[in-house]
Amino acid sequence: MVNLTIDDKQVTAPKNSTIYDAAKINGIKIPILCHDKKLKPFGACRMCLVEVEQMRGRQVPACTTPITEGMIIRTSTPDIIKARKMVLELLLLNHPIDCPVCDKGGDCDLQNLTYEYKVNANRFSDEKFHHEIDYSNPLIERDMNRCVLCGKCARICDEIVSFGALTFISRGIETKIGCEFEGSLNCEFCGSCVSVCPVGSLLARPFKFKARFWALTNQKSVCGYCGTGCNLTLGVKDNKVLTTVYDENQGFHNGQLCCRGRFGYQFINSDKRLNTPLVRKNGSLTEATWDEALELVAARLKGAGSSAAALATPRLTNEELVLFKRLMETAGSANYDHSAGYAHAALTEGFAKSFGAAASPATILDIQKSDLLLVIKTDSYETHPVIGFEINMAVKNKGVKLNILSDKRGKLSKLPDAQTLVHTPGSEIAVINALAKTILDDKLAAGTAAAIPGYADLEKALAGFTPEAVAGQSGLAASAIKRLANDYAKAEKALILFPIGNAYPGHNADLASAVANLALLTGKLGTEGSGVLCMAEKNNSQGAVDMGFYATSGLNAGQIMDGCASGAIKTLFVAGENPVVSYPNRAAISAALDKVEFLVVSDLFMTETAAMADVVLPACSFAEKEGTFTSVDRRVQHIKPAIRNIGQSRTDFEIFGQLIAKLGGQAPATPATVFGEIAASAPGYAGMSYASLGETGAFAPVAVTAAFVVPKTVAVEPAAGKLALVTGSALYHNGTLSQFGEGPMHVCPEGYLELSRTDAAKLQIKENDLLNVASAIGSTKLKARITPRMPEGVLFSPYHFGAAAINQVWSGAPVTWVTVTK
Amino acid sequence: MNDILFRHNRPDRAVTLDEYRAEGGFQALQKALADLSPDAVQQTVIDSGLRGRGGAGFPTGKKWSFVPRNLPGPRYLICNCDEMEPGTYKDRVLLERNPYLLVEGMALACYALGVERAFIFIRRGYELAAQNLKGAIAQAHKAGFLGSAICGSTFNLELDVHQSAGRYICGEETALMNALEGIRANPRSKPPFPAVKGLWGQPTVVNNVETLSNIPAIVAHGPAWFKALAATPEGAGTKLFCVSGHVQKPLCLELPIGTTLGEIIDTHCGGMRAGSTFKACIPGGASTPYFTRDHRTVPLDFDPVAKAGSRLGTGGVVVFDQTTCMVAATLNLVRFFARESCGWCTPCREGLPFVQHILERIEAGRGEMADMDILREHVHKLNYAFCALAPGAMGPVEGLLRLFEDEVREHITGGKCPLGN
Ligand SMILES: Cc1cc2nc3c(=O)[nH]c(=O)nc-3n(C[C@H](O)[C@H](O)[C@H](O)COP(=O)(O)O)c2cc1C
Ligand code: SF4
Repeated sequence: MVNLTIDDKQVTAPKNSTIYDAAKINGIKIPILCHDKKLKPFGACRMCLVEVEQMRGRQVPACTTPITEGMIIRTSTPDIIKARKMVLELLLLNHPIDCPVCDKGGDCDLQNLTYEYKVNANRFSDEKFHHEIDYSNPLIERDMNRCVLCGKCARICDEIVSFGALTFISRGIETKIGCEFEGSLNCEFCGSCVSVCPVGSLLARPFKFKARFWALTNQKSVCGYCGTGCNLTLGVKDNKVLTTVYDENQGFHNGQLCCRGRFGYQFINSDKRLNTPLVRKNGSLTEATWDEALELVAARLKGAGSSAAALATPRLTNEELVLFKRLMETAGSANYDHSAGYAHAALTEGFAKSFGAAASPATILDIQKSDLLLVIKTDSYETHPVIGFEINMAVKNKGVKLNILSDKRGKLSKLPDAQTLVHTPGSEIAVINALAKTILDDKLAAGTAAAIPGYADLEKALAGFTPEAVAGQSGLAASAIKRLANDYAKAEKALILFPIGNAYPGHNADLASAVANLALLTGKLGTEGSGVLCMAEKNNSQGAVDMGFYATSGLNAGQIMDGCASGAIKTLFVAGENPVVSYPNRAAISAALDKVEFLVVSDLFMTETAAMADVVLPACSFAEKEGTFTSVDRRVQHIKPAIRNIGQSRTDFEIFGQLIAKLGGQAPATPATVFGEIAASAPGYAGMSYASLGETGAFAPVAVTAAFVVPKTVAVEPAAGKLALVTGSALYHNGTLSQFGEGPMHVCPEGYLELSRTDAAKLQIKENDLLNVASAIGSTKLKARITPRMPEGVLFSPYHFGAAAINQVWSGAPVTWVTVTK
Repeated sequence: MNDILFRHNRPDRAVTLDEYRAEGGFQALQKALADLSPDAVQQTVIDSGLRGRGGAGFPTGKKWSFVPRNLPGPRYLICNCDEMEPGTYKDRVLLERNPYLLVEGMALACYALGVERAFIFIRRGYELAAQNLKGAIAQAHKAGFLGSAICGSTFNLELDVHQSAGRYICGEETALMNALEGIRANPRSKPPFPAVKGLWGQPTVVNNVETLSNIPAIVAHGPAWFKALAATPEGAGTKLFCVSGHVQKPLCLELPIGTTLGEIIDTHCGGMRAGSTFKACIPGGASTPYFTRDHRTVPLDFDPVAKAGSRLGTGGVVVFDQTTCMVAATLNLVRFFARESCGWCTPCREGLPFVQHILERIEAGRGEMADMDILREHVHKLNYAFCALAPGAMGPVEGLLRLFEDEVREHITGGKCPLGN
């Protein structure tokens, strides 16, 4: 600690602090426009000038000047106040001062400082700016006339988002923030720039003219899209979520969000939300009372036994999933599952066997503390963008080495010194095995490895996986495999990350075990900065696993669908999933759902699946309910209702409870009661309570019982004359829910087929051409997107979309062979 | 007196390597590599009293001594030849006549600093100078004065010439490093200072062309000899003065540092032009406050000039006669600085154009008395800008208000420029 005097107060502050930080932690406020705690010091606005006695009373910027022992600092002498006033007067010289029509009014740093320093008349006057306002996209408005050139937008886009959409252009008074070649914004639309803008230059258009900031009630919550578990503040007025409000102190991510989190909230108050229960009468769904609808469902479930089955979306709360399970047990059925049955297998089978726990032995916080990251699939950025930010910062600020194993290049490949090994689609497990083989052959294994059960079997099984042998099928050079194995094994701390989800069937139990083997072989586990992080797709995917909401003794999702088709399953209760769109092989799923005698769907929207139901129950979104979500790294977080239920909708907690009661069971009264039960029974959750979760949540620790498991590999046989289609997530989407978020839909409104320039040239395809994509199971039409990141012969398509759906050609294999015609 | 920098000059062309060597060139380097430790070279430069010729006059040896000895990784030397300050053209003349002095000076500096890779950042438009330098580097390479195992020692060095994309701010040493790295040429905040964290985050020294070109003579002849060259007891060495404006013979010449303004104009530049009388001058490049008739006896050395209220700066002397309107002259300079502001910090970006507009109004006869106070306030407050550009820009304005207040007042009260501009 360093001792110093600020404004005659004796204070201490940690070494390496700036004057600004030292003042801040001691409760002394220094005004500033260009500083952000997440960004590197900038020193440009000159509002934070202070006097340092040791520097002959010179005025120095507090935000860039480091403290030294015994420093004597004055933060507001008359001369400093004059200097700050002058900075404000200068900034206001060209500023339009259009506060009454500016959305930022009331939340504007420039406005606040102007009041604070009583700059009520400007002694100076000069020409105003006449920059054109950029309305070219529906999410972010750019009005450079109001800009104070703090550079925060350009800096955050570079330092954290690592996109670099915005930059300084021109010099002198003509300096402005713009896009390359003065073009319009075409970026990830994460809105980080909007969040840090101190004035009204960058505004969220969906919120424009909706409300003044002071009229909003801020409600803390957790994002309902992916499994990262980002914290949100919802800005609420008149029972409507009008915007997300930036809070730089919120969550491990300091308020950073992706496009979905920041701009995807509109589904909550969407006018497409279901308002009343619907019951199919004479072939069409008609409005009904809750009692009527629930009676119908209860009658079907009562004593149904194994002819009933349930599918849930892992967007439900832990408490709801527990209750759903209980409902099915009350009905006498063990047939319940989620995420198409296979998308959680990496955890429920892979890690369960390898680590003795269906959870990841690492957290997101390990990323910036590691020395080397091995990311399986560049898609990790798209599936979990805010984890992607952590990777960006680790690589750019901390010098963490980044290695990527992927079937295509991607944004992560562009990070400084990132090494991307692009393998042929479907060969990832073989490559990972070859890494393990190299580790054994090059004697890089940790001393502890041989004692782990299964070592001998693994050693034997890996015999055929020499880098040379795998080079052929993977398209990688043997030397590249060896180098990666050496880098990984020799790094002091190394972390492996991979995404799972409906669109990644290849990221299965075997891949999870193959990856686990690497960590176990080298002992990269159990210490800060090391481990394996399996990034599950949805906001509560890990929770669904922890709550045991998957087939253990009953049928899994695939078998349930088969059961529907064969008639063995007579009643199917789908809560929040949309299998017609999100499960592979649309034709088969539709046929099965057509066939099942009684289909109940609880959902927010009239999805493709709900439209086939006999009873549709309007459910609540995360913003209307109470409960807990568990993130990919088992951070358990408590959410509270931000708004009252929309229309007649009920939470799934209420729905399942009321059905349990109708079946004669005992339904717990509140989510809190159920969380108490979870804390008593779910592994790692012991001792948790709402109180112990607090604002930041709490980690459910993962106890590892290690074992080597021999992963199965399935060689992907190329099909002559066909192209390899791989599925995945688009950056702006998550599951099918984001189709109801206006933000994501503005940026990425429909599915597409991404292909290489070489293939495009060969097939004479141009950008946006409508392509006919055909496989063994069917065909669909998708727009062409030609990108340099795709290898020749490989196609990529995101899976989220109901229209022109990829599951019309995708049967659930990791690689689908297709033909593409115009 | 062409003792060091112009010693090898030919009247119409650049000196060749053979000529330079015949006159003792590269002997200092050979001597240092054979007999002197890097520390000894550095100590010689410290003892010589050499002060930076790039504008700030910082003691060169002291600057070198800030480079930490034991940081891992490479360290760099950058020669600053951006020279975009109006009124300054000495580095160009020097390089057009003798690029070898710089090459040898840099080799000595790199030896002293433990640098193996150095850069010369040269202004766009200095085509001949850049060509000379590239040629000299190639020749020196061939002769074994650059490259690996120089003169049979263990010392290796590569020099690179980087031609600037062209902007005044690129001459500011940290902006220069950004420009070299290929990013926007904004200054960086200090601390960390370049000596600790400079180019690509490594220890870096930035020195001016003229500064570095002095090193061979200092090493060859020793600190005492160098000090004795000055015209003042406290000064050291010679200085290039580049004179322009209303004199008979505008030219760039090497004189003992501390030669008086009067001597430079009268003896070396042939006095004022016919019909001209001396009114004022910029003593050291566009960012220095004016000198008037009263300052003709001031020795042009760092401390005496500072004591007289200005700065020696680069030694770019611009002479004005009685027909020059000082408001117009100041406006001309401020316009340059306002245009060249990098736009990073508020006071400079917003303040300079505003000052420019006030001066425009005054010059056009539309000024108000209150404008003088506003200008004074800017002179004071623009000192707290991010880099030295804005305070430099206010140098002439400060001089105007201090020395020519009456002339400004006349503009305002008379409603027009008294000189009829
Ligand atoms: C706006 C600005 C422009 C500058 N331009 C130059 C230049 O063109 N050449 C130069 O040598 N120094 C220039 N400097 C000074 C450099 O920052 C630096 O102090 C100098 O190169 C150090 O060299 P020296 O120690 O040999 O004087 C400039 C400084 C500022 C603030
Ligand atoms: S003083 Fe001017 S040139 Fe220097 S950083 Fe500020 S804006 Fe840029």
